[in-house]
Amino acid sequence: MTTTMEHAMTAASHPSSYLWLIPFLPFFGFLINGLSGRKLRNTKVVDFIALGSVGLAFLLTLWHFAQLAGLPADGRSLHQSLWTWFDIGGARVLGGLTTYKVEWAYKFDALSGCMALLVSGAGFLIHLFSTGYMAEERNDGRYYRFMAYLNLFVFSMLNLVLGANILMMFLGWEGVGLCSYLLIGFYFEKEFAAVAGKKAFVTNRIGDFGFMIGFFLIFQVFGTLDYDTLMGSVRGIATMPAITLYGHTASPTWWFNLIGCCLFVGAMGKSAQIPLYVWLPDAMAGPTPVSALIHAATMVTSGLYMITRLNFIYVNAPVALAVVLAFGSLTAFVAATMGLAQYDIKKVLAYSTVSQLGFMFMGMGAGAFSAGMFHVFTHAFFKASLFLGSGAVIAACHHEQDMRNMGGLKKLMPITAMSMILATFAIAGIFPFSGFFSKDEILWKVFEGWYQHGHYTGPTLNLVAWILGMLGAFCTAFYMTRLIAMTFYGEYRGAGNDPYGLTVQSEAHHGHDDHGHGAHGHDAHDHQANGLHELDQPHNHRGDDPEDHDVVPGHHPHEVSWRMWLPVAILAGLAVVGGLLNYPESLHRILPIVPAELFSKWIEPLLYQVAPVHHGEHVPPAIEYGLMAWATLVWAPGAMLLAWWIYKVDPSWSRAKAFVTRFPNLFRWVNAKYYVDEFYEAALIEPIKRFSAQLWSFDTWVVDGMVNGAARTTIIWADLSHWIDQKLVDGAVNLTAYIIQETSSVFRGLQSGRVQHYAFVMFLGFLVFAFWKFLA
Amino acid sequence: MVSLNAVLLISFLLFSIGIAGVLIRRNALIILMCAELMLNAANLNFIAFARHSGSVSGQAFALLVMGFAAAEVAVGLALVVALYRKRDTVQVDDINLLKG
Repeated sequence: MTTTMEHAMTAASHPSSYLWLIPFLPFFGFLINGLSGRKLRNTKVVDFIALGSVGLAFLLTLWHFAQLAGLPADGRSLHQSLWTWFDIGGARVLGGLTTYKVEWAYKFDALSGCMALLVSGAGFLIHLFSTGYMAEERNDGRYYRFMAYLNLFVFSMLNLVLGANILMMFLGWEGVGLCSYLLIGFYFEKEFAAVAGKKAFVTNRIGDFGFMIGFFLIFQVFGTLDYDTLMGSVRGIATMPAITLYGHTASPTWWFNLIGCCLFVGAMGKSAQIPLYVWLPDAMAGPTPVSALIHAATMVTSGLYMITRLNFIYVNAPVALAVVLAFGSLTAFVAATMGLAQYDIKKVLAYSTVSQLGFMFMGMGAGAFSAGMFHVFTHAFFKASLFLGSGAVIAACHHEQDMRNMGGLKKLMPITAMSMILATFAIAGIFPFSGFFSKDEILWKVFEGWYQHGHYTGPTLNLVAWILGMLGAFCTAFYMTRLIAMTFYGEYRGAGNDPYGLTVQSEAHHGHDDHGHGAHGHDAHDHQANGLHELDQPHNHRGDDPEDHDVVPGHHPHEVSWRMWLPVAILAGLAVVGGLLNYPESLHRILPIVPAELFSKWIEPLLYQVAPVHHGEHVPPAIEYGLMAWATLVWAPGAMLLAWWIYKVDPSWSRAKAFVTRFPNLFRWVNAKYYVDEFYEAALIEPIKRFSAQLWSFDTWVVDGMVNGAARTTIIWADLSHWIDQKLVDGAVNLTAYIIQETSSVFRGLQSGRVQHYAFVMFLGFLVFAFWKFLA
Repeated sequence: MVSLNAVLLISFLLFSIGIAGVLIRRNALIILMCAELMLNAANLNFIAFARHSGSVSGQAFALLVMGFAAAEVAVGLALVVALYRKRDTVQVDDINLLKG
């Protein structure tokens, strides 16, 4: 079954000889930088290799993308098989014996091509940003390590998206997990960074477990892991009357639901959904470019990519889709509310990322894979821009991350500010910025599912999800405007100018003054002039010179170098116009200049088409227009104006303070992120630790006891045997020797050694002989 | 004419002096010389009995013993010289490696 299908499906795919270079160029960059970087005195060489390899990969991706665009819609696929990775030999699966060989193969099609463009393009910009942001590391020998990790990440991510089978995806999946761990814990000498890295890794491992079970099941059911073959054979399997695996017989839908749920557990881990999202905010312990690249733009979208890639499973698995929708909408709302009360600029963006990922999953759960995927791209643009912008702000403010200690930066760093404001409009969903198109599309599809009594999920769930999504969108617009107002408007509060008492003692100032040095440059780039090692952990870094920031008046941050603002501006520009790539059909009717639904049509051939099973009435266009207008004219601007009114119009934030005083517990709960971390700590981690302690003591007392007991018994036996040997065996030998010795002492006197004694004895003998002869 | 008994007495005395010297003296050279005395006592006996019995075979024996004695002295002196070189002494008291 599988082999025939394979031929049928790959017929439309075109071979390409240079495809392998896209992922492997960054890998070579990683090898060169990683192996020789320590010896390279000049970090410009590291820059050249790291940026060059990713930049070339981006150009190659563009070239392939152009090739792809020139092909007919049903044959838009380039592939390259490098070698056989695994030859299983033969495995018993549902369809009998399969001789499936796992190829090390790459596949460049409408979906993976877009993702590869995003990964290499955004990756390049973030590499460029890093050359400015990590300037302080250039002197202490860690710079090459950072760049090598980034390259390895880009390789893994490209492997994930370009791989032609699930195992290749899994390789990349684990690779990005590893890079995430390495980069979060980049400042591993700081305990919280090491802990955050560990947390991310362990949380992801939980998800990976689900992912693995999921694709093991896929292999059991389909006998293959190739996307093309899977897609080709799904229709046949979905119509089977029943599937029996592991002695359990159930309908194909039941098995698809199981697979879908297992895979979604993997997506939960990687894409930070409830309940596995907790690692992402902590991951902000890594350098800011890492947050932008891995934890906002690319890695966290791999769960979405996986679901879109395997959409043929989900389309046939209504329960799994409902689960995705439920968790997605819950995450979208809950994470958005967590972002409302954070003061750390990166934490706000982190929760925003979790929330936006929830939106994407919502779209997927509603069966609108292209809408969810489109939000992946627009989100990558505006969130990477926001993260890099926040990185620029942090760098300019001497690694201050608390927004209460910022303010007024718009005048001081206009390019960064303008880029971030545009990105904020995009994420808030204001027409015609990109976020409007993607988020509105998702919410619309969810709403449509309810209105049409959609066949994917129960209609009530869709309604609840839609309400949660709208609330989440409100919160999003609110906290982003709050961030902008607190950071860029008002007066700069950092240089001792704090009329309203808003600033707080930076976390950085605790017990870190031990190596203060006088000649501390005010410019972020002067740090590299210092001979002392500047451990650039954004949190703790500033503390080595506290008076620099608070006491010395008149010191202000200023615009960062072009290496940092240029990527921010480019990404912001994309965030502004990116939405037009998926211009909705309904608006196309009003404004036909923009082509409609380019993106949806682009990836449509990869989406599995189910025969329509319901004939719900079409939603009247008036409702769609009404909802769009409501969202972009009332809802999002309302939230933004509310935040503006609270944080900008009144520079003392008295309304916010009044609100906190009025509802202290509400604020406390939101600010503490609903104590989820504490809950996990108490409900899961502590019991596991205690259980581990029990196991440890079992190990110490019982297992080690057995080993030590065996050792002790052996020692006692050996002692006994030693005693027997010493006393009995040796005793017998020695006794013999002793007896002989004692006996021989009688005769020893005869052997005087004196020749005259012997002569005398001889003479006596002679005399005796003579007398005897004489007497005889 | 000296009587046989007188010669035998002389021979006995000579032998006794020889054996006493061998057993008492500590110098290896003296011991060798005393051994020569004993040999010569035996020679004297040979000759005395030859004269007494009127045959010459005893005298021939004496000549043979003298030859042996010369050879024995040569070997003995060589041993003593070697011993002296090795141990810096010819006192037999000091040479007791075979002591049990």
